[in-house]
Amino acid sequence: MKRRGRGIGCMWYPIGFTVDANPSAATVKVNEDGTATVLTGTVETGQGALTVLGQIAAEALGIATDDVHVVSGDTDVTPMDTGAIASRTTYVTGNAIYLAAEAAKAILFEAAAPMLGVKPSQLEAKDRMIQVKNFPQRAVTIGEVAFRSQVVLGQPAIGSATWNPPTVAMDPETGQGKPFATYVYATQIAEVDVDDETGEVEVLRICAAHDCGTAINPMLVEGQVEGGISMGVGMALQEEMLFDANGRIVNPSLTNYIMPTSLDMPEIHVDIVQGFDPTGPFGAKGVGEPTAVPTAAAILNAIHDAVGVRITALPATAEKVLAAIKAKKGALKQIPR
Amino acid sequence: MDDKTEVLEREQLDIEILRDVNLRLPAVVPREAFPAVPLTVDARLQTRAVGQRATRPDCRMHGLGQTKYIDDIKLPGMLYARIKRAGISSARIKCIDTSAAEAMPGVMAVVIGEEIPVNSFGPTFQDQPVLAADRVFHAGDGVAAVAAVTEQIANEALEKIVVEYEPLPAVFDPIDAMRDDAPKVHAPNSNIYATKVVRKGDVEKGFAESDHIFEGRFSTQMIEHVSLEPHAAIADWDATGRLTIYATIGRITLARADMARTLKLPMSRIRLIGTTVGGNFGGKNEISQEPALALLSKKTGRPVKGVFTRSEEFTSSTTRHPIIMDYKSGVTKEGRIVARQIRLVLDGGAYCSWSATTLGKACILSPGPYKIDNVLTEAFVVYTNKTMTGAMRGFGAPQVCFAYESHMDDIAKGLGKDQLEIRLLNAFDEGSSSPTGQVLHSVVVKETLNKAAARFGWESQS
Repeated sequence: MKRRGRGIGCMWYPIGFTVDANPSAATVKVNEDGTATVLTGTVETGQGALTVLGQIAAEALGIATDDVHVVSGDTDVTPMDTGAIASRTTYVTGNAIYLAAEAAKAILFEAAAPMLGVKPSQLEAKDRMIQVKNFPQRAVTIGEVAFRSQVVLGQPAIGSATWNPPTVAMDPETGQGKPFATYVYATQIAEVDVDDETGEVEVLRICAAHDCGTAINPMLVEGQVEGGISMGVGMALQEEMLFDANGRIVNPSLTNYIMPTSLDMPEIHVDIVQGFDPTGPFGAKGVGEPTAVPTAAAILNAIHDAVGVRITALPATAEKVLAAIKAKKGALKQIPR
Repeated sequence: MDDKTEVLEREQLDIEILRDVNLRLPAVVPREAFPAVPLTVDARLQTRAVGQRATRPDCRMHGLGQTKYIDDIKLPGMLYARIKRAGISSARIKCIDTSAAEAMPGVMAVVIGEEIPVNSFGPTFQDQPVLAADRVFHAGDGVAAVAAVTEQIANEALEKIVVEYEPLPAVFDPIDAMRDDAPKVHAPNSNIYATKVVRKGDVEKGFAESDHIFEGRFSTQMIEHVSLEPHAAIADWDATGRLTIYATIGRITLARADMARTLKLPMSRIRLIGTTVGGNFGGKNEISQEPALALLSKKTGRPVKGVFTRSEEFTSSTTRHPIIMDYKSGVTKEGRIVARQIRLVLDGGAYCSWSATTLGKACILSPGPYKIDNVLTEAFVVYTNKTMTGAMRGFGAPQVCFAYESHMDDIAKGLGKDQLEIRLLNAFDEGSSSPTGQVLHSVVVKETLNKAAARFGWESQS
């Protein structure tokens, strides 16, 4: 019969490289009409990074996401970047883009100050306008300012910047140090049904609460969490590369390397926990890798809760779970001495 | 709103009709399917851009099936490359005879390991050859690359390449590989190629002060990333001596440096274009076949494309490290963790790749997000004659999380505590000290525990 169980997986995960430098560089160009172009050496690998990076530039410049075009992935055109790795894009590349946008904005403020009769330090960029702080009625459009800056004053609004997360090397003997600039945290709770006659595990639902600092784009965070959970389900229950006695892989195809499909996916509830990291762009950290970290742990604990067997070697295939259930029943039947 | 719905429905219909007409051609969106006014979702137009559920600029193209991946790119005169794989886990290469393959009509060039100017790469240790030259370290090693006018001819040419091997002893189990008398994968060096230690407080003293000791061994499997799009690249070495590489890769800055090193070219002569990546998950963090494709292009004067088969994705690309994890924890009767000792052995496969990073993260993260005054973690990564293990989403964290969270539930059960309560009792707070002595900021572990528990409807059973 099917037995239901629940299990918790809680984790922490760092953003960026372990101690080693992993810089990002970026250039932000404000066009003559107030739209902007961002140059970044990272690559969109399907996670929506370029959208998030565009949102960071837009926020810094006081314009909308749609006003920003992001150019990426060409070593002839874009500045150096450590790339899409270590959940670092939003945090590290995001900080570089934020700083580059601030540098471009400073040029705009220099041009706008005499137009509004105030000092540059009294200005802010908001709603596609450059305005006097606390006096939104005293404003000019960013497009007007950018045009004037470039065509009249001869100073196009272009900013470039680099950022590298601060770390402290680890002591080789004790490992003491500050290997990462920041960490994120998450908990996933899984509910499963385990058939105690076949060993089959069905993951019914997963409640995932993730910290990413400020969620620059909550929809893309949710997408990452759902994707990470699918990888976690595969790790927990199905996926395994198998080798013969001579070290050759026996299942190098999707016919017999089994991984989750949409039919294996549980119901997923994503909560983004309120957080703010002052070292990140607008308080953001990252979320990419951590989403795949606690899923298998939560599922395996739920299996233990359901049928009382502890699978210690992944994946928990039906065969393995059933063997463990039988072994446990066998152990219970032993005649006491 | 109604207008939008109508536009979308009509598009859908048109694509269906086109697919029915000619299934062999990629679907082309008819001109009339393009909306008169570009559909821009409101969230993209908001100022205060941060926090908006802005849609991606590429999503419409993805949705219409119009995104061009590397397999859709066809340059004039382009050739197709395939790589001959060793199929033997440990051997010396006595000779490679490519003459029969080169004589085949349609075969334009063959490249072997000896021809690669600097035949090694890797982010930490440069221990991985582009193509095995004298020694095979795992069955998925490439031994020769062929460029031909069609992929079929290139495949047939692989069959005509004759390689003579002298089999050598091999080791596949990471614990066996740690023994002094084990065959050395990269002789004469020890198979243990990196170690990491994190020591805080005094675990022995901590165990002595504990009310209960819990122990457990956990292990995980080797996993492939299985990106929908396999590793793929086009190399175009033009008549000016400039090399352009189109590659599905997440890190173009590093890839250009690796290309410059392996080919002994100035970086200014290399252009690396990162094409739309159809899935990465850590599997596309470094170069693979690109230097071989570049040399094939140089030899033939034509662009050369190489796309891994699904089988090569398993045998010849990086994978997730299997880890054997021993945990020992001393706890008070209230459930507070006093001391934790951990030993990790990572199966590092035939080459280092991103193993040093994985080792470091696994070691640092292995005690879990918990306040523990006495910690000792020792981690080792060892060579085996298997597919190389490297970067994969989480760098060792999913493996150690499985171990420390299973271990945590065993402790909870042993003490008769609720699984949620024992975690809340031990979890980091703002300003807690990590196992490496780092003072942590913006810590919200307990918030995530409480939030997930509330959403789940967790009720204590203790």
